[in-house]
Amino acid sequence: MIGYLIILLDHTSASFCHYGNAAGERKLMSVDTLRTAIRYAMVHNWAVQIVYPRYEVPDELKAMIETVDSCRIMPVEIADGSADVVVVDGWDFNKAVMLGKPTTLRITKSELFERYAELMPLLTAVPKLNVVITDVHKFSKADFETYKTVMKDLREKVAGVFLSGGRLSVNLLTDRLMLEQMNNCGAGDTSITLSPDGKFYICPAFYYDAPDDSVGSLCDDDIAIDNAYLYTLKGAPICRHCDAWHCKRCVWMNRLTTREVNTPSHEQCVVAHIERDASRLLLDELNEMGKYEFNSDIPEIDYFDPFETRDLWK
Amino acid sequence: MEVKKKVGVVTPEECNEIRSLFERRNGLNEMAKILTPDNDALYEKLVKDLGETATKFETWWRDMSEKYQWEGVADGNWQIDFNTGEIYLVVG
Amino acid sequence: MDVTKKEAPIWNEGMSKNITFIVTKDCQLACKYCYLVGKNAKERMSFDVAKKAIDYILANKHLFEEPSVIWDFIGGEPFLEIDLIDRICDYVKTEMYRLNHPWFNNYRLSFSTNGINYDSDKVQHFIAKNHSHLSIGITIDGTRRKHDLNRVYKDGIRGSYDDVVRNIPLWLKQFPDGGKKVTIASADIPYIKESVMHLYSLGIRQVNINVVFEDVWQEGDDKLFEEQLMLLADEIIDGGWYENYACSFFSETIGKPLDLECDNMNWCGAGRMLSIDAAGNFYPCTRFAAYSLRSKEPIIIGNVNDGINQNLLRPFLTLDLVTQSPRKCIECEVASGCAWCQGENYDAAITNTIYQRSTAICKMHKARVRANNYYWRKLYHKIDMKGGCVRCQGVCNC
Repeated sequence: MIGYLIILLDHTSASFCHYGNAAGERKLMSVDTLRTAIRYAMVHNWAVQIVYPRYEVPDELKAMIETVDSCRIMPVEIADGSADVVVVDGWDFNKAVMLGKPTTLRITKSELFERYAELMPLLTAVPKLNVVITDVHKFSKADFETYKTVMKDLREKVAGVFLSGGRLSVNLLTDRLMLEQMNNCGAGDTSITLSPDGKFYICPAFYYDAPDDSVGSLCDDDIAIDNAYLYTLKGAPICRHCDAWHCKRCVWMNRLTTREVNTPSHEQCVVAHIERDASRLLLDELNEMGKYEFNSDIPEIDYFDPFETRDLWK
Repeated sequence: MEVKKKVGVVTPEECNEIRSLFERRNGLNEMAKILTPDNDALYEKLVKDLGETATKFETWWRDMSEKYQWEGVADGNWQIDFNTGEIYLVVG
Repeated sequence: MDVTKKEAPIWNEGMSKNITFIVTKDCQLACKYCYLVGKNAKERMSFDVAKKAIDYILANKHLFEEPSVIWDFIGGEPFLEIDLIDRICDYVKTEMYRLNHPWFNNYRLSFSTNGINYDSDKVQHFIAKNHSHLSIGITIDGTRRKHDLNRVYKDGIRGSYDDVVRNIPLWLKQFPDGGKKVTIASADIPYIKESVMHLYSLGIRQVNINVVFEDVWQEGDDKLFEEQLMLLADEIIDGGWYENYACSFFSETIGKPLDLECDNMNWCGAGRMLSIDAAGNFYPCTRFAAYSLRSKEPIIIGNVNDGINQNLLRPFLTLDLVTQSPRKCIECEVASGCAWCQGENYDAAITNTIYQRSTAICKMHKARVRANNYYWRKLYHKIDMKGGCVRCQGVCNC
């Protein structure tokens, strides 16, 4: 059931996920559209997330945003104290460290592999770091091995912080410790995206990828998602047999790599399981310290891609 | 007129063994129709494999008939049903 | 002893990799129900493309782990390319042998032909050369009027019955256990009984028959279909044909509710098969090639140069019944035996998914189940009257 409305204030609103947004032309949402969108969300009892572009939006829009409780997702270039999530595209995160807000860091795998050690100042400065590897679908076999090494090193660093009495939160390692069931992106299932021109899409990536494939419009007061069950966990055979509960389970990347929104690529699964395995080892370490209590149980498994276990599914 | 009588049955493993030899023999026989001596290496391999497979084939029938003591007659042949492992004596 | 003829087992069913070469998209016929919407005389496979495909497949055993293989050749009409097929088969046999590939000890060469040039010298030479590994099916739809209703030459008028039926005795002599595949569309329904009986009379003991999966059915077709099947049941049982002849419409296992513990597998083999077209593209099944699709883009999963993109196979290999079926199918009281075609599902879906089951045959399946119930009740009764059960005819104590 839809519970979140993601509002793209502008065609150039910052990407906070895997998709890239190369769109250069500004197309700002009108005040009327934003007003209608907010009202729509309120009457449906949906939470609102607002995604900002990299320039200051007009005061009328700001005033309209003030009329509703929302999660404000701002690119670091314009982020200030009003941001709920700061998005950093690339490696220049000094301002995010200063702001000390929950932060989303969009980087490529090679950037992560080369500079992951430099993440620690950001990790310890913000309450929550969400690392998005933008080219996760391009991992090679060699990349998987590198990523295992990176995650081992990162795990040791994170464990060190906990050992010295600190706490931190990073999606790649600690999300899985807190979860007792799947907690994924939810695009098309628990969330829906509104484009600046008032049309609904499964998520921002679908808007940029195929603008003609909207699933409804604000003015028609209608959302119709064809084959909607394919966006749910129940409609995803691999995912419903998986316990990498922190996985983004990006339906847009699924469609990009396997043609089906309900089927993740081998790369997405293996990357999530490398993180799951690092989380398992971190959990063991933290439990050994005896200071921290996590409800999670992460059993050791002998595969990195649940697809390989399909013959065992009933 | 052909007369067919069931005279025994072999285990699934035994059945698979003779089926595999049967398939291989058929494959080799059909290879013999397309391979010529100018393809030295493969031709020699084929001649050797044909001999070995024929021997294994004969050995299987001899060993099984001794093991199970199937009924036989001078002008008859045994046949196997690969789906069931049943052995038939065929005369005529 | 079982008194009913069972359907012949499919060779190595479930254990074979089915690899299909679409050698040509040309055909002498223009059958009215043919699902191949893009047939043409231009797209013919070259030997080089076939060779590259074979080299890739035999070099990548880890991707093709099935213990046996069926090298399948289709068209259009495959025997239009008999010279090419002969060359491909020689190459594949030689390579399997040279590489000591396990498939050399476990393969078949399979063909579905319209039968028109079956007796040509070239085809007969090919058959003689490969006989022990051949599986050849000839399509004949039944009586002349039923066959010629759909299976016409490209002029759209002249039927092909006479040109096919003259080859049936030769085919049966060479392949006595040969089965016949018959496809039923809306206009064929009134001829089902006479057609099956006609095929029996030609000496064909195994008639594999199904209704087309496409949404072609008219109001009332299900009733007509049920009536025809009941007439067929009467004829088969009253005439004692059931002892030596089989028709796949009648099966003891269909028409039960689903047991999702056991029945949640995918019915269709798409994705576990591989098709190669003239351009060297790989497909999860021929039905996903452009010439088979009415309204969707083809699903190409790789090509002979780059190999298979395994990610594109994942949706096919994880398909199950529940995920792709609407609730009415899952809860259907006569669900078992209701089939689908993944390609038709994709073609008919409202999005570009293979996960939306088409239910166009729903009424036809239910009609088949009703007639099937009638068939078995009547047969059981007849056997009982004769003093035995259908399985043992009085030999056992059941």
